[in-house]
Amino acid sequence: MKTFAKFISTAAMALALAGAAQAADLTVYSAGPGGLIEKLAEGFKAATGKEVAVFQATTGKVMARLEAEQASPVADIVISASWSTATDFDKDGMLLEYTSPNAEKVPDFLKSNTYVAQGISALAIAVNTKSGVPEPKDWSDLAKPEYKDLVTMPDPASSGSAYELVAALTADQNIGWALFEQLQENGMIVPGANAAALNPVLQGARAAVFGAVDYQSFEQIEKGETLKVIFPTSGTVIAPRPMMILKSSQHADTAKAFIDYVLSDEGQAAVAAAWLMPARSDVGAERPLMSDLKLLSVDPATDREAVLKKFAEIFASN
Amino acid sequence: MTTLAKGKINDRQNGGGIAALVVPVLLLLVAFPLLFIVLQAIFPDIGKGSLAEPFSLVGKTLSDERLITWTLNTLKLGTGVVLGAAFVGVPLGLLRGLFRMPGGALWDVIFTVPFAIPPYIAALGWIFSLQRRGYLEQLLGFNLGQFLFSYWGVVFVMTLNVFPVVYFAVSRSVASISGRYLEAARVCGASPRVGLTRILLPLTLPAIAASLLLVFAMSIEEFGTPAVLAARSGFLVLVTGIEQRLTDYPIDMPGASILSIILVLLAFAAFMGQNWLVNRRDSGTASGKPTRQEQMELGPYAPLAVGFFVLVALVGTILPIAGVLLTASTRTISGGLSLSNLSLDHFRMLGDNTAGALEALITSFTLGISAAVITGLIGVLTALVTVRQKTFLARILDFLSLIPNTIPGVVIAVGLILAWTQPWLPVTAYNTPWVLVFAYCGLLLPYPVRYATTAIRQLGTGMEDAARVFGARPITTIRRIVIPLIFPSMLAAMLLVFAVASRELVATILLAPLGTVTIATFIWSQFDQGSVGLGMAMSSVAILITLTVPALAALLTRGGKSRTS
Repeated sequence: MKTFAKFISTAAMALALAGAAQAADLTVYSAGPGGLIEKLAEGFKAATGKEVAVFQATTGKVMARLEAEQASPVADIVISASWSTATDFDKDGMLLEYTSPNAEKVPDFLKSNTYVAQGISALAIAVNTKSGVPEPKDWSDLAKPEYKDLVTMPDPASSGSAYELVAALTADQNIGWALFEQLQENGMIVPGANAAALNPVLQGARAAVFGAVDYQSFEQIEKGETLKVIFPTSGTVIAPRPMMILKSSQHADTAKAFIDYVLSDEGQAAVAAAWLMPARSDVGAERPLMSDLKLLSVDPATDREAVLKKFAEIFASN
Repeated sequence: MTTLAKGKINDRQNGGGIAALVVPVLLLLVAFPLLFIVLQAIFPDIGKGSLAEPFSLVGKTLSDERLITWTLNTLKLGTGVVLGAAFVGVPLGLLRGLFRMPGGALWDVIFTVPFAIPPYIAALGWIFSLQRRGYLEQLLGFNLGQFLFSYWGVVFVMTLNVFPVVYFAVSRSVASISGRYLEAARVCGASPRVGLTRILLPLTLPAIAASLLLVFAMSIEEFGTPAVLAARSGFLVLVTGIEQRLTDYPIDMPGASILSIILVLLAFAAFMGQNWLVNRRDSGTASGKPTRQEQMELGPYAPLAVGFFVLVALVGTILPIAGVLLTASTRTISGGLSLSNLSLDHFRMLGDNTAGALEALITSFTLGISAAVITGLIGVLTALVTVRQKTFLARILDFLSLIPNTIPGVVIAVGLILAWTQPWLPVTAYNTPWVLVFAYCGLLLPYPVRYATTAIRQLGTGMEDAARVFGARPITTIRRIVIPLIFPSMLAAMLLVFAVASRELVATILLAPLGTVTIATFIWSQFDQGSVGLGMAMSSVAILITLTVPALAALLTRGGKSRTS
């Protein structure tokens, strides 16, 4: 038994070294980009002295964790990359009412009593400029023979913004599902979520991403990758990223202060530095802003499951 | 517990006492989270602590027409990888165990490498190497993208990842078979072929079967490789379906739980088959004398055997590592392989502790060592009960200890979260590093248990009987006789646990306490944010350190042995 006790105590010591989770004043579950939420947490600590614990993952994994923790919730604030999470949570009465004084300059369609946008991303075409293809101007260009077997697209089942793009384009009389059928015939692949769609284009295995998340592509360009972001002429969709305080939060006041901080000048500058469009219309950024883009709208009554099923049917044969 | 212990005392040793010690631990690590997965499958609202609307979602999930395709694909993938791993691992293991291979133990180190490369990294490495305009095309002008993104590509990458399990099990098992049997056969005039088919293969069959079962279980629960490679060709398996239900909003946890139960049943069938195969014979082959079998000479076949080893090492070890290293040391991916694009920037960023890289390394290795020590200990104790006793309790233990290998990491993680967030618990492991240790132990217990079972099964009972006659207490017998004899096997198993635990991804992402970054979550979040180079640099460092641990362990044990003798 002595051996057993010794093993256990060794393991316990080892774990003590690994360091238990620090007692935090606030817990934030956030979809990427990871650098942004860490920067915001540091900035908030510098401003208020409050420690923020962060869980950063894809929106899907954040939701899975929230759902699993229902019995004893840990998160105070959730930042998602999909607007529908906020509307759904709101419908289920899970959110705390709060309107930040800093949200005054946030456009009305990007806020409600219970949630407000942190920043906004848009979808675009990302092209590898070394791949030798003509520069596309619009979505439909990617169905042309020049792009045969050279296009990727994020899976709308795992990327909320890609779903919005499919829903918006297929609802358009002039585009419809025919575009996606042509893309499929032209050899477009759907390899996974956003990063999975971008990687083949970086190396040149493919030439362009249909529906690349713009801030991720801008980041790559900043790192020196030979990419170009093109906003198609027929318009695109945006993906506002809602921030919300959960009703179950034990730290409501700190949570409100955090929302205020993210919407402050400093917070919004950090959002812009991560290549997102700031939620506040009076904060600028070194990238095209909403006013520069032609926006397509998505009918909220669209049957999501039906759209995803039809999409999956078209691309199942690849 | 005392009645339990009393009831199970058998005449060989006090196995009941051990069972009483191990059963609660296994219940906590395995049965507790599993119970909540089953409860979740039945009661959709268990997460809220409610038992409302039982079975309301079972029919809907089971009537999904894709289910049959996913199940068949899962079986197809498992079978393909088992055949592949047997084709590569068994001959390699037999050659290494039976013959004096030039290079000797060096091959063991080389074949540890594929196992030290996390499967999702290996898959990404292969993609960057083989796809259109990948490294292969940049260097040699052609690509193998078509092959890679298909069923065969998945089988190829996964076989290269898991064949070491078979190789090590077979070579260890052959080496521990007393050479006297083969010698006796030779003396009696048996040809080498008869020695192989009538003595060697039957005696190593338990080890081969056990390792192939592990391979099967590992392949049907592997997520990263099929998701990255096969999804493109429409080859979807059960695990991809589970992951989809867990990560595509809205989350369908009951559906995921039901699919997991189907996976468990598949693996259970394989387990029964293996059990039947192994239990037909009980072979006590090690006499206890630490005489290592005299290894045979390869003679004129040496170049052929060495060529085979070199080929496997090249494809299984050197190419994936090269893919990872190249990606880590090119500044941009679009820049390709050119001198001006080579840089150590990504490694320098690691050294500067970008994004907490150093803490991630320390955390992962601490967790890996803890999991290895705990599972090693539980493994030996469990195997002692299951091999030496034929009781019902022993079979339950055996099954409990194997079952985790059939459950995807993501499901164990959800089970642990569901179980440990129940509001009525007085203390909880959730949100502490312990929950990660529990997850790793729960997931990886099968390795030490299988290895220990194989080793103890080959151990005659004579030595233990002798110890008992001389009045040694059971614990002394275990400590002085059993553990030293099976130590090589156990060390191998614990190194496997360490290698896998220190890089486990899926469960870690869901369970990691807030603020805890491990190697895997670091790499994953770098990939997710498009910093593939930094992610690959971390992978390189992690692989390197994972590899130095076996070397250190070998040095330490050698030192230990010379002290005791």
